[in-house]
Amino acid sequence: MTETSSTAPGDPSTPLAVRLRGIGKRFPGVIANDDVNIDVRRGTIHAVVGENGAGKSTLMKILYGVQPPDSGTIEIGGSQVKLSSPADAIKAGVGMVFQHFMLADNLTVLENVVLGAEKQHGIGRKARAEVRRISDAYGLGVDPDALVEDLGVGARQRVEILKVLFRGARTIILDEPTAVLVPQEVDELFGNLRELKKEGLAVLFISHKLDEVLSVADEITVIRRGTTVRTVVPADVTSRQLAELMVGSELPSPGISEKATSTRVQLAVTGLTLHDAAGRALLDDVTFEIRRGEILGIAGVEGNGQAELVEAVMGMRPGATGSIVLTDQDLAPMSTLRRREAGIGYIPEDRHRHGLLLDSPLWENRVLGHQSRPPSASGRLIKRGAARADTQRIIDAYDVRTPGTDVPARALSGGNQQKLIVGREMSGDPILLIAAHPTRGVDVGAQAAIWNHIREARADGLSVLLISADLDELIGLSDRIEVVLRGRLVGEFDPSDVTPEQLGSAMTGAGSAA
Amino acid sequence: MTRVLRALLGLLAPLLALVAAFVITSLVLISAGDPVGEVWSEILQVPETRNVANIVNQACVLYLSGLAVAVAFRMNLFNIGVDGQYRIAAFVGAVVAGEAWLPGYLNTALAIVCAMAVGALWAGIAGVLRATRGVSEVISTIMLNFISTSVVAYLLREAAVREEGSNTIGTKEIPEGSRIGPIPLAAADSGPTAEIYGFVVLAVLAGVAYWFVMSRTRFGFDLRATGQSTTAAVASGINVRRMTIITMMLSGAVAGLVGLPILFGEAYSYGSTFQSGLGFAGIAIALLGRNNPVGIALAALLFAFLEEQSNPLQILVGVSPEIVAITQGVIVLTVVISYEVVRRFLTRREQSRVAKAERPADPAGPADPAPTQDQEARA
Repeated sequence: MTETSSTAPGDPSTPLAVRLRGIGKRFPGVIANDDVNIDVRRGTIHAVVGENGAGKSTLMKILYGVQPPDSGTIEIGGSQVKLSSPADAIKAGVGMVFQHFMLADNLTVLENVVLGAEKQHGIGRKARAEVRRISDAYGLGVDPDALVEDLGVGARQRVEILKVLFRGARTIILDEPTAVLVPQEVDELFGNLRELKKEGLAVLFISHKLDEVLSVADEITVIRRGTTVRTVVPADVTSRQLAELMVGSELPSPGISEKATSTRVQLAVTGLTLHDAAGRALLDDVTFEIRRGEILGIAGVEGNGQAELVEAVMGMRPGATGSIVLTDQDLAPMSTLRRREAGIGYIPEDRHRHGLLLDSPLWENRVLGHQSRPPSASGRLIKRGAARADTQRIIDAYDVRTPGTDVPARALSGGNQQKLIVGREMSGDPILLIAAHPTRGVDVGAQAAIWNHIREARADGLSVLLISADLDELIGLSDRIEVVLRGRLVGEFDPSDVTPEQLGSAMTGAGSAA
Repeated sequence: MTRVLRALLGLLAPLLALVAAFVITSLVLISAGDPVGEVWSEILQVPETRNVANIVNQACVLYLSGLAVAVAFRMNLFNIGVDGQYRIAAFVGAVVAGEAWLPGYLNTALAIVCAMAVGALWAGIAGVLRATRGVSEVISTIMLNFISTSVVAYLLREAAVREEGSNTIGTKEIPEGSRIGPIPLAAADSGPTAEIYGFVVLAVLAGVAYWFVMSRTRFGFDLRATGQSTTAAVASGINVRRMTIITMMLSGAVAGLVGLPILFGEAYSYGSTFQSGLGFAGIAIALLGRNNPVGIALAALLFAFLEEQSNPLQILVGVSPEIVAITQGVIVLTVVISYEVVRRFLTRREQSRVAKAERPADPAGPADPAPTQDQEARA
């Protein structure tokens, strides 16, 4: 606040807020960070980009004192520091806004902000005045007495930023802040970030969305395989060049080859409705059809009924009403197992919770969800040999990197776990594949492979219900896109002539549904 | 290679626990001023044939108790109620066998089936409560233990026959034709022969059945999958509520067997002096044996060995035999810790092996995957 906006981005004379030199961190068998060097100047937004698993999160955890580095030095504001806990980092003026908000819904903004920082400005009038002052100074527009549960996602994120500022942070780390936002909210966030840098703060912005990074950052450091590859200025690079720096090879794109859709309806959902315990509609009269060889994409801000839709079709939600017909079979009275046997493959949103037995060997994970069907079972017995052999088939066909079928699923990386799940769900020739965020948290290579497998199966007549938060994936892969808002389908789009912005408008209910 | 290492480490963990228990028990003895050396030499001496028979008999009972607990453990259910289940089951078994509605071994079979059914029903109460109302089975089975004790005490008065000149009461004696005859244990050195329960054979069969069901059948797979992750089980089509009830009943059915070796091989009736507390020992034994049928057997033998060998301590060296309860307790605590240490070690090892497989020796190569897929993806 003492500084003004005169700092020129990228100017080497600007004092450094953070200087990382030779940071290294090893986990057993994995080098998470190796010789990481980053200079973050005051009054700038510094983006750190890299694909999933490149080591961004580890680096940020080191800077926030969650994990100590094995080697290297951290300097904050010109003096070398040793951060052994987040408390140390906060004391040194480093604050972090996590991707998943850490707010108590039933408390007010003020209460959330002072929670754990009661010593700074008390919990009463002084604290409220301080919250107001920060909110005004950085244009956050936060009302200290609003209940957090009444706030939208964007406002909650601003509360998180305010929390960090309240604790005196001069360097703010934002971990994938745009992942939960729709395009309009992203623009607002970027406005806030520009305010912060105008006031002389340093912002470290973690992302893998290149267009956003290029539009907001003053400097961009690319991380690949745990090490810093290069630091560039946005004016000097295109999004394509940045992607190639990130991946080290050319970037794949989801696009589909040609329409393979036939006229035969394979899944018909009519009037699907589901209420929560309080009687609010989670799904409200959802009706759609998917034809043979068609991919139907569902776009929507998370929490608008996508998870419920998937679970209702899978039969995991008792109380859902309406009809679900797969080819000629009425699924409504069937259990989840019967629905799977009828030809539904299911790639769940959360593979650790719903897709895998983490401590079981891969071959047992192959059996999961297929325990009533060959090749893994005959009658009431599990066929271990056949299950192992078929797991090996999946490992080969889907390029799952593992030393064998007896390895526990936990030991695999996220991308390889997901490839195993995709391979499993594709076995037994499903008629319908429900793919919820099929490439979330997997690296670019695995993403390309998974897209490819979905495309191939579609060409063979598979129908796909695709849920994704990645609009590029939805637009690139889908034959048709439905937008879901508060449990209702509010508009249908043709992916060949829709922009992410149009979808974003429909997802928030702002735009006119086509 | 990995499997061998896994097995070796699996043995190392309980061994570590034994050593730790030995050290801690010794420290307790020293601090109390008791003769450490004499205590251990008494406990660790080679048992006589008569003692071996006692050890096997006690282990047989403990084994069944451990199996009962393990069935529920495999599904992440804590059946603390084996104690109540086996007592009410043994009582019903004793009444049925004592009434002798059927002749000979048919009577025995009927009594065993009835005991298992009663154990299953008693445990099933906790299963139903858990599945329908979300009541923790830990709480409900503990409560059911108390109820079981009272119910048995009440019914015993109704059904009991008092022996001439004795204060103890019990059910009618099982007719000789329905008893399970002992197996003679040949003496190693021309000493007196001893006998073990014929029921040991049934206990071994129960262990084999447990192994088969758990590792070879779909039911066992569903049970273990549910134990590991309820959410993944639901997504894969397992009816978790049904599995909860069935598993608790199965655990209770096995618990129903616990008292039967004593009933058919030694006591021949259920009385107020019938051995109690076997259910709680089963929890420790299942933990020590890692829910593995062979592991549980070894754990049961170890516990029975310690108990049998500690019996003469009071007379011979003036130390209370309860000292082995400390040893047993420490074994269970340390074994949980050492299993966890071994598990983490193995996980780390697997992760580094997988990391090697994921990143083939090509440090300068492109970021990731098989080139064919990249090309297809670009198309």
